[in-house]
Amino acid sequence: MAQIVAGFGVPHTPIFPHFVKRDGPDCEIAKLFGAQKAQLAAERPDLIVMFDTDHLNTFFLDSLPIFAVGIDRIFKAPNDEPRDVPNYIVPSMLDVAAHIRSAVVAAGFDVGMTQNYSVDHSVIVPLHFLTPDMTVPVIPFFISGHVPPLPSAQRCHALGRAVAHAIESWPVPLRVVIMGSGSFSLEVGGPRMAPGRSDGVPDPDWAMRVVNYLEEQKIDRLIAEATQHQLLKAGNVGGELLNWIAMLGAIGDRKPDYVAPQMQNGHAYGVWRWN
Amino acid sequence: MSIFAVNHLCREVLRDHAFRAAMKSDPAKALAPLDLSDDERRALLAGDVGTLYRMGVNAFLMNYLARFEVCELNVKIYNQRMRAVKVDEIGQPVG
Repeated sequence: MAQIVAGFGVPHTPIFPHFVKRDGPDCEIAKLFGAQKAQLAAERPDLIVMFDTDHLNTFFLDSLPIFAVGIDRIFKAPNDEPRDVPNYIVPSMLDVAAHIRSAVVAAGFDVGMTQNYSVDHSVIVPLHFLTPDMTVPVIPFFISGHVPPLPSAQRCHALGRAVAHAIESWPVPLRVVIMGSGSFSLEVGGPRMAPGRSDGVPDPDWAMRVVNYLEEQKIDRLIAEATQHQLLKAGNVGGELLNWIAMLGAIGDRKPDYVAPQMQNGHAYGVWRWN
Repeated sequence: MSIFAVNHLCREVLRDHAFRAAMKSDPAKALAPLDLSDDERRALLAGDVGTLYRMGVNAFLMNYLARFEVCELNVKIYNQRMRAVKVDEIGQPVG
């Protein structure tokens, strides 16, 4: 049977590959992703299931699911031209993705799908750092975290649990890592940007509170406070926290090995391992 | 439907390199065939992203206008105009 062996929380800032190329392997970003890369390699994953919020690139406002899963043998990335990210073809697992979708629909979650698809920086930037040879198959699971109405944190946590049950009912042995991609507080291109920049962190106190709740394993408290109002208060992409919450639902609310904040960006790097 | 057209053209600036080039060289001509209201067309040509935001255009889609420097925008000008929009604590325009 397939088993979930670890959880990772990752940022996906699209300019980070450029910063690392410019600043070299000793810069903070390279070190933080490098530490996660080593932790991930130690788990020898056969598959990564990544909860992610598409930035209106895989989907758009003409057709925007609250939840959807990518179902194909491969997908392409990036489709939004992040600087210094090469074009990748990422392997996936069509049968497992279709099984996950069927199982979670049966469990009461109405999940859409996409086939013959591409993804944006929110999936490929973390993979660019963590699995740059692109040999580990990845299944993206999309959660609508940018365009209200947002799904509730409680719903996303329950979705994560349902995805875990689906994975664990897959009859072939697989070591599966769950990832959640995104920021805790970030405004991109909106009025709450920092002066002179393209982004800003409107609610750093919330971002730090999220880090504390993760470290202290106070997930019920996190879910209770992660209302739509709070997520929007944290920025126009503050709903990306829902991807971390779904990841926590899938791994079972464990204590993290570490959560490394990068508060100037309103996000963190988290690792949960238990074997 | 019209705001949808503005959102869509912002994404096309990212995706369609011919449209991006047209928006850089002659934005009025590039926008001419699109189904836009007079107010939307006027605001786009003026690079008035604050007005467009108040009309309901998605901010991070509009950010492509600054990233690719169309409608005489760049990061600095875009930032100043967008930050001038008064919003409530969840980013909704007020006043």
